[in-house]
Formats: sequence, C-alpha cells, structure tokens
Amino acid sequence: MLPGSLAGTVYVYDLVDFPPGIGIGFRADGLGMFFALVSSTLWVVTTIYAIGYMKGKHARVRFFGFFALCVSTTVGLAFAENLLTLFLFYELLTICTYPLVIHDETPEALKAGRKYLVYTLSGGALILLGVVLVQHLAGTLTLSMPGVLSLAAGRPMLGATFLVLVAGFGVKAAIMPLHGWLPTAMVAPTPVSALLHAVAVVKAGVFGLLRVIYNIFGVDLLAVLGYTSWLALFASFTIVAGSLLALAQSNLKLRLAYSTVSQLSYIVLAASLLTPLAALAAIAHIANQAFAKITMFFVAGAIERTTGRTHIHELAGIGHVMPWTMGAFTVAALSFIGMPLFAGFITKWFLSLGALQAGAWWFVLLMVASSLLNAAYWLPILYLAWFREPRGLPGGVHEAGALLLVPTLISAAYVLLLGMTSRIPGMPFSLAQAAVRFVTGM
Amino acid sequence: MQQATLMNLLPTLVVALPLLGGALALPLRRLGERTRILVLGALCAATTLGVLALVPGALAGEARAVSLVHFAPQVELYLRVDAMGALFAATVATLFLLALVYSAGYLRRDGRETRYFAFFMLSQGWMLGVAFSGNLVTLLVFYELFSILVYPLVVHEETPEAIRAGTKYIVYILVGGSLILLGVIFTFYLAGERPFTPGGILDPGTDRTLLLVTFWCLVAGFGVKAALMPLHGWVPDVHPAAPASFSALLSGVMVATGCFGILRVVFEVFGVELAAALGVMPVLTGVAAVSVLLAAILAAGEDDLKRRLAWSTISQMAYVVLAVSLLAPHVTAGALVHISNHAFLKGALFFCAGLLASQAGIRRVSEMAGAARRMPVTMAVFTIAALGIVGVPPLSGFISKWVLGVGILEAGHPLVLLVLLGGALLAALYLLQPVWMAYFHAPGATGPERRRPEAPLSMLIPLVAAALISILLGLAAAMPGLPLSLAERAVAAFFGSG
Repeated sequence: MLPGSLAGTVYVYDLVDFPPGIGIGFRADGLGMFFALVSSTLWVVTTIYAIGYMKGKHARVRFFGFFALCVSTTVGLAFAENLLTLFLFYELLTICTYPLVIHDETPEALKAGRKYLVYTLSGGALILLGVVLVQHLAGTLTLSMPGVLSLAAGRPMLGATFLVLVAGFGVKAAIMPLHGWLPTAMVAPTPVSALLHAVAVVKAGVFGLLRVIYNIFGVDLLAVLGYTSWLALFASFTIVAGSLLALAQSNLKLRLAYSTVSQLSYIVLAASLLTPLAALAAIAHIANQAFAKITMFFVAGAIERTTGRTHIHELAGIGHVMPWTMGAFTVAALSFIGMPLFAGFITKWFLSLGALQAGAWWFVLLMVASSLLNAAYWLPILYLAWFREPRGLPGGVHEAGALLLVPTLISAAYVLLLGMTSRIPGMPFSLAQAAVRFVTGM
Repeated sequence: MQQATLMNLLPTLVVALPLLGGALALPLRRLGERTRILVLGALCAATTLGVLALVPGALAGEARAVSLVHFAPQVELYLRVDAMGALFAATVATLFLLALVYSAGYLRRDGRETRYFAFFMLSQGWMLGVAFSGNLVTLLVFYELFSILVYPLVVHEETPEAIRAGTKYIVYILVGGSLILLGVIFTFYLAGERPFTPGGILDPGTDRTLLLVTFWCLVAGFGVKAALMPLHGWVPDVHPAAPASFSALLSGVMVATGCFGILRVVFEVFGVELAAALGVMPVLTGVAAVSVLLAAILAAGEDDLKRRLAWSTISQMAYVVLAVSLLAPHVTAGALVHISNHAFLKGALFFCAGLLASQAGIRRVSEMAGAARRMPVTMAVFTIAALGIVGVPPLSGFISKWVLGVGILEAGHPLVLLVLLGGALLAALYLLQPVWMAYFHAPGATGPERRRPEAPLSMLIPLVAAALISILLGLAAAMPGLPLSLAERAVAAFFGSG
C-alpha cells in the first residue's frame, strides 16, 4: 500500500455500521500509513528482542499474546476512518497493555497497573465525551477531511470539545500534568516499556491529538480559535520540565521515561504551531523519537539482563565490556541532542523553521534550550560508559546475546538512516510529507 | 574527460578518505602497530595530496561543486572548493599529516591509542568538510560533528585535569553550537537554501533586528571556537590537558575553524556591504583588539608552557577577527594568510612543548633553563617558530603581519595598527623569554635531573618539517599556489573585483 499512499491514494474500507450512521471503517492515508509503518516495523524488531529478553521468564504465552494484540490494535488505530473507530482501538490498546504492564505480578507492578488504568481510562472517558460532542456538532466523525467542525457551532461548545479531546488524548501523550502514569509504568519488562513508551501507547495519544488537530478541527479553524497557543504553552512547559525531571533521575529507565515525556511534547508543540513545516516536524518526530528511544530501551534492557545494573552511576566503563550495545546508545543519544546527520536533527530543524513560519521565534529558543538539556542528561552517561574504567563487574561479562543485540543495532541503524536519507521516496519522511500535503492543503 | 571526472570526485574523496581511516583504525589493530600507522599515514598523505591537487583549480577560479545528499527537502549537503576553502583545507591537511607522524612516536602504548587514531582521522575528515562546505547547513553539519567528536581526543590522557577540561570544552562547544544552529535557522528562514555567495545571500531589505540577531548568533557561536574573549574560557584549560600532538591541531587549526566560520559568515552570508550597513563591525573590532592585547598580557604572566602557548593562540587568532572586522580587502587577505602561517608556527611550538615534556620533563617556562644544550634540534625549531610568531622576517609570520599592517593602514585605521604592534611586542616578550632561558641560562639546580638525549629522529621530522614550511611560506610568499595568492584570489571575490 506504500506507493499508493505516497501518491496520495487513500484506501477505504467500511467494516460495519454499528450504531446507525456511524461505522467502523478503515482508511489508510499518509498519516495513518506513517504511524502504522513505524509501529509494525518496530514491533517486528521488538518481538525479536522480547524473545531474547523473556527467555526463562514466566507466563510467556500471555506475554506474547497480548504483545501481538497491542500491535494489531495500534495498526487499527492508525487506519481508523472515523473518530469512533479510533476511540475503540484506543480503549482496546489500554486493555491489551494492562497485562503487559503488570507482567511481573509484584505488588509494585500491580499498583503501577492500577495507576495506569485509572489514568488512561479517565482519559478514555473524556475522549468518549468528546466524540459525542463532535458527532453532535458536526454530524459526522469522519477523519477524511481537513476539519469537520465549523465556527457555526459556537465558541463555548468548540472550546469544550477541544478541551475534552486534548485532555483525553493528552493522558497517553503524557502532557504535563497528565503524565503521572508513565514513569510508574516503568516496572514493566523492558520490551514492554520500549513498545509502550516509544511506540504504541504514547504515540497513540499523540496520533489522536494530531487527528483532532488536523482532521477534526482543522488548521484553519484552530488558527481562528487560537486554542492551540495554550496547548503550545503546555507542551513547552512539558518539554522543559520533563527534561529537568529526567536530569534528576538516577535510574536509567526512569530517565528514559521522563525523556519520553519531554520528547512527546515536541510533537504536540509542533502540531499546535499549525504551520506546514511544523506539521512535517510533528509527523517525522513520531518516527525519529520512536526509533531512538526504543534503541535506548533495548540498551537499558540488555545491560540489565547481562549485568543486572539499572542505575546510571553503575554504568561506569560499560562501553568497554559492551561496545556494540553502547555504540547503539551513543547513536540514539546524539540523535536526541540533535546532532546533524542523526534523526533528531530533522525534527529540530523543521520544528524551528515551522516556529519561525508561525512567527513564534521563542519556540526556536526553546528547541535550543531543550537540546542543551538533552545533552546535559545524555552526555554524562556516554562519558561514564566510555571514559571510565569498568569497576566491580563480574568477570566474563561481555556483549549481550545476539537476540538482544541485533534488534538494538537495527533500530540504531534506522536512527542514522532516518537522519540522512529522508529524501528517498518510501522512507518515512516522504510519507510524512504526503500526510502534510493532505492536512494543510499544500 | 577521465581527468575531469576524477577532479570532480576529489572534494568528496578528500573528505571521505580520512573518515575511512577512522573506520579502519580499529580493525587494523590486528595487523600490528606498524602496519596500522603506515596505512593511516598513507591515507592521510593521500588526502593531503588530494587537497593540494585542488589548489591550482581554486586559484584559477574554477568553482568545483558537488551535491552530496539532500538530507531533507531544501536541505542539502553541498561541497564546493573555492580559494578560501582550498587554502584552509591545505593547511588543515598538511598539519594533520605532520601531527599524525608526531603522534605515532608520541603516544604511549596503553591501549587507548586505537581510540585516538580513530577519532584523529575522523576529525580530519570532518574538518576538511568544514573547509569545503558550500552552504551554511553543510558547514553546520561538519562543524558540529567535528566539534563534538574530538572530545575523546581532548580527554585522551583521562587524568582528572583532562576530564575536567573535557567537560568544560563540551559545555562551551555545545552552547556555541546551539548559537550557530539558531543563526543558521534564522538565515535559512530569511534566505532559504542558498550556497555561500561572495557578496552575501541575505536580502538587505529584511528586518534589521532579525539581521542583527542572526549576525550575533553566528559570530558568537563561531567566536566560542575562535576563542574570542570573553568566550575563550575553554582554550587555556584544554590545551595543556590534551596530548601535545593534538594540542598542536587544536591551536593550529581548530581555533582557526571558528575564524573560518566568521569569515564565511561575514563575507559570504552577509556580504561586505550589508555587514558594513549593520554597523556591528566597530564592536567586533573592539572585542578583537581587547582579545589581542589582554590574551598576550596573560600569556606573559603564565608559567606553564602549554598554557602560555594557548593564551598566545587566543591573542593571535583575534588578529583574524580584528582584520575581518575592518572589512577592507588587503587586511582580509592578511587574515587568511595569517590563519595558515600561524597554524604551522603554533603547531611546531606545541610539538616542541610536547617533546620537552616527554623527553626532559619540562612543563614550565621556569624549568627551561639550559634546555637547548640537552635538546638542540627541538629548541632550534622552537626558536624559529617563536620568531615567526613574533613576526621576524623572513619567516612566514612576518608576511602575515606585513600584509595585515599594510591593509590596516590602507583601510585607514592607524589606531588598530598600534594593537597589531602591541601584540607583536608582547609576543616577543612571552615567547623569546623561554628561548633566552633555554640558550643562555645554565641548567639550574631546580631543573629535572632526568638526562635523556634529543628525541628520536622520527619525531623530529614533523618538527623540522613545520619549521621548514614556515620558512618557505616566508621566503616564497609571493609564489602562486602559496597562501598569499589564494588569499588574494578569495578576497578579490569578496570585494567584488574578481
């Protein structure tokens, strides 16, 4: 379906009309294809990794079953033709990931699972409210147009709709102050954290937000209403605060979690700027962040499995014993800092240009400040890993097994590929461009 | 036709060859130390020859350009060889070759040298990329890559001081890099994707505030690398901490990269007329003049030899910024020549400082008494290079001072000439004092007792070569193909008469 999507063809399939007039339908447009491609590619990689990681752990059938379900719901969500379908898969995703979060079945994991459910189900309820409101105001829920609502619906109603939808999707997109569940859910096994926090769950929230902004409200209407400047403010706060919190973490996975919180808001910020170049940044960052972050999670998991270490200060000299693994980590870290030729640079570049297009130069400063913060929390890890002598590592510890290492290297290679070859048709970037052409009418 | 194809590939090739070397450094370890050095040396020499082969074309004014990748729409990696780039690249490549030979003898075999050689070769590739960058984005890409990836070279010794210096370095460079990124984004927003053009790519009609912001972002960003006071903080700490083979490059060409960036920005992004119209140049003149004098005074007060040389670099490189800020043709040519001349002189000084430290344990100026008796060749090279920095004819340093001085008068700034002279006098004070100590003081009781003869021949070769190059650049300065001719060619384009 890829060539078709690039050319702007849209595949539509109506499954059932289940409440009268509102069907469950699928439709593969640029944005959907983009998200589906990213998630399914990463799913393959993560599954290989999970096979290696879960070796010898309990309840593996349950684990892999729900793992696969997660991805099919994510792809369903990506291809949703209308808001209701999107909502259904969004809720399904919550339910499918719960058994994965609590996989260890420790009291801590169960508690985290509860918190996760409370947050996401409340978010879901808000979305349902929003879906009803949209149906009432617009008479349709379709996601096939650049905006279905119009100013005729009245400002108070539109405001309420925007608020509930953004707050609802904002839970999974971890916009502060709705991010509480994300760091807690880190008790899950690492492949789950990787999939949850880099791809499926958080990106589902972000994807929902993009759909709300581009396909429900539409860029033109939002430009008139001006709600997005508030959203941009929240996103900016999240970017900075998330980074500062990440800086304060000493557990590697928690640092990754807060970094995710911060990085997701890049996408939200970019989307709320409403300019074509920023939209490009928003969509491209879905992939850029996903590949880089999943690489880091893979590395964190590989280190945990081979050496049992989870804290940053314990990583001294780890680069000497696990050079390939830490090499992958280095690539991902440099991408987050926004080094040219790495994927993160593309986001930074287009987001900044998009902000200038919107006449908001202070967001450019924010971008720069954020990449400095990223440097502040990734570079010390690189320093520890490469420039210190390994201490207290049991003898015979060396590189992680092939099942853990190969997926890590593949996703790291993707980070470089995304940074350098975004011009090649068929790469995610060109899909992102196709999506942007559609939503902004370029 | 065949010839033309090869020449067109050459810019890409000279950037790629060292990168290949960097990638090979680790696997080549299996073939043994000698083979590795030979292979890397061959790659480095090939690169240098390749760069030198580009010089005649650049001199003739042929623009050789290659578009590498469009790594995003409207953003392309674009290499272009022009006179200024060729001059800088030739300097970089030659000094790297000397430094590689020197490193081979200088580095201790402690298992870290693989990392050193890998990043050494990589940084040469990135730096040649900077020299041949055809647009601002490409410059940014190569500049950032090499700025950050030399970190392993800075902290090579892994002593606490080196680590501290490395941290300081990375913080300065990241902040500077962010400023440059800001500037590049603003430029891109204002002018779109356009290659460097003599005369500038920005539209003079744009909002003045925006132009000013862009200018200061770029100049301050590159100013960090160019060690323009008050952004120089990393230089005096990093130079002594890094291994001498790399300090030579730091001082010789890395600091100059900042100056090179400023030159590109002033002449090929803003253009002479717009830069003059913005009215920012007098400020830059002031800052640079203070840097020249203040750094020289601080150098005179410093006892640690490598730190003294580092301060000297700050002072000498501020000449370049000073010259650029006057926006006049001859003085700019002087600046370009100075970059190249200074590189070899300061490189030679650091090579000597490294040998003094490793062979005789001399790290401070006050310990240099009688060093000339122990290490005659090293001190002879040191003396030549010191005289060159001071500007004694017929050494290359004289040529750059002369062209700068004539240019300054021509531009009508006699006061600035005083700064130039003051810098030279202070240089005489802080560089000739160690020379004098080494020749005319008897070795004191405080001097280190380790009596080892002169360094081995293989390490003296790069020293002597650097000294010979300096003499050659002084004696034959007017020969076509040497820095002066390239600089004049570049300047003619900037000022619209080429």
